[in-house]
Amino acid sequence: MSVRILGVAIFVIAALYTRQAGTYAVSFGDVLGPTVFPVIVGIPMMILSASLVVFPTGQVDWPAPQRMWRQAAALAVLVGFTMTLEPLGFPLAAFALIALIGIILGGAPWRAVLLGAIMAPALWALFDQVLGLPLDFLGELFV
Amino acid sequence: MEILSLLGQGFVVASTPLNITLLLMGCFIGTLLGALPGLGPVNGVAVLIPLTFTFGFDATSSMILLCAVYFGCMYGGRISSILLNIPGDEPAIMTTLDGYPMAVQGQAANALAISGVASFVGATIAVIGLSLFAPLLARAAIHFGPADYFALYILAFATIGGIAGVDPRKTLLSALIGLLLATVGLDPISGVPRYTFDSFHLYDGIEPIVALVGLFAISEILMLLEKTFKDRPKAIPVGSWLPQWGAIWRTRWAMLRGSGVGFVAGVLPGAGASLGSFMAYVAEKQTSNKKGTFGKGDPRGVAAPESGNNAASGGALIPMLSLGVPGSGTTAVLLAMLISLNVQPGPLLFERQPDLVWGLVASLYMANVALLILNLPMIGIFTRLMMTPTWALMPIVAAVTFVGVYGISNSVFDLEMMVFFGVVGYFLRKFDVSLVPLVLGLLLGGDMERNLRRAMSISDGDWWILVASPISIGLYILTAFFLALSVWLAVRDNRQTEAERLTEG
Repeated sequence: MSVRILGVAIFVIAALYTRQAGTYAVSFGDVLGPTVFPVIVGIPMMILSASLVVFPTGQVDWPAPQRMWRQAAALAVLVGFTMTLEPLGFPLAAFALIALIGIILGGAPWRAVLLGAIMAPALWALFDQVLGLPLDFLGELFV
Repeated sequence: MEILSLLGQGFVVASTPLNITLLLMGCFIGTLLGALPGLGPVNGVAVLIPLTFTFGFDATSSMILLCAVYFGCMYGGRISSILLNIPGDEPAIMTTLDGYPMAVQGQAANALAISGVASFVGATIAVIGLSLFAPLLARAAIHFGPADYFALYILAFATIGGIAGVDPRKTLLSALIGLLLATVGLDPISGVPRYTFDSFHLYDGIEPIVALVGLFAISEILMLLEKTFKDRPKAIPVGSWLPQWGAIWRTRWAMLRGSGVGFVAGVLPGAGASLGSFMAYVAEKQTSNKKGTFGKGDPRGVAAPESGNNAASGGALIPMLSLGVPGSGTTAVLLAMLISLNVQPGPLLFERQPDLVWGLVASLYMANVALLILNLPMIGIFTRLMMTPTWALMPIVAAVTFVGVYGISNSVFDLEMMVFFGVVGYFLRKFDVSLVPLVLGLLLGGDMERNLRRAMSISDGDWWILVASPISIGLYILTAFFLALSVWLAVRDNRQTEAERLTEG
């Protein structure tokens, strides 16, 4: 069933993609123009994904709901890092990233927090001070 | 003779202090990444690429560092296979079959030494093969016209990952998704923005490095969260690290046979180191398993797959450097780095940038010696570092990944893109869709379109030009042959697994 849904999803994307390709105008002196290549990609994509819907192969073992929550939490932490990096600066954002991912991966909470507290400033010092890759120590919020 | 003088020049390039430092660092990091369960060559190299950009190394130094990491992973994977019965990376799976039983029987030192020497033999044979065959292939490929390149790319997509026995439709779809992503951005010929959703961030297209770090490294974290975290078994203690040299000498033929099989598997498109070690083990079992000792701690069952995976990883560099078509996941990632540094691998690379090619080849000879030293007398360091728990390792890997990608252009958009591709990569992996064709499509898509359009302007819109030269016709016939082979293999494997289910159930 899951494979069929994947097939449908790819088919829809490919169909929209191919349709959109038709709107790109052909310029002079360029025999194929920007339209043809996307069509060459889009049409076999539609055929192959349609065939996956009709003849699916393979089964997918989705993780247990509890594990899915863990994955969702980890994803939230990763997205959270991208949002907090510039406002908070690298050490604070990385501290949260390391500590939280460590806890989600099953480390003892106090150890994960300790690891974050040591590694976040250490990584900042390594990259910013030693290797010369600029990373903000304090973010925009503190300036 | 010409090759020897070129190689001599290569050694001069490889011997600068910076390159030697990078080489030794790469060997150390690679062995460690290989030994740590959960981090393999693809992830390791993907995480390190953005860092090489940020530090502004030139293409030669970057390649030396990353190829040392690549080779190091192949050496290191066996350590946890033998001591923990957990393969350190995918190509080391076969080494658990005889390596762990040997360690249980108190022969851990022998198993580690045999596999270390086997890795050295395999990798060295592969590098010799690389120095001999890559220039030949490059010289043949110099006659390729635009239509022939188009055909070559089609061949690459049809074959990569295709022999692995999964549904070939999924492999092709993966390549097409990559091509689709490659068309995002300003069209290089007409300047029309395509599929940018009016976002200026997308005008330059999707940065392949950002996409592939997400696809490989971030999706790995999500995959890891599915597994249960049992306490890792204690490593088998090793009393003395000194092996019996006679035991190593007795496996010499297994090493040579494994190297040969692995090398051929590596050069073929679509087969990486994992297939190399698998084929080497199976071939060795067929020739030498007369007393039924394989799987119970036969030293030859350690020597063959280890020499096989190292030989395959060296062999996979040949099509990548001389044709610009990678033969495995890690070489696809290396190709991404070269393209991002404005180095186009292919036949012209050997003429235009001999320093890069021969500096790399020379550094690989040196890397093998360095790795042999790291992996025999200094192996104790790695067995200790190997025990770092996953909960402590992965968060730091994630943080370093973010730093590297952020460093490319100091853009948060890149980080978001990377996480997005991590989710995409996770789902595709769940559906058994190989990510390598996707990366390849994303990398080669732009060039493939340019070659197609160039060919069509030469012929003024006549499609027959695509099959006008004997080279392109030959390549299309090869493509059809590989596709037929992979369909046949997929059907056969399907039947086999059904039969296995019947006998097991």
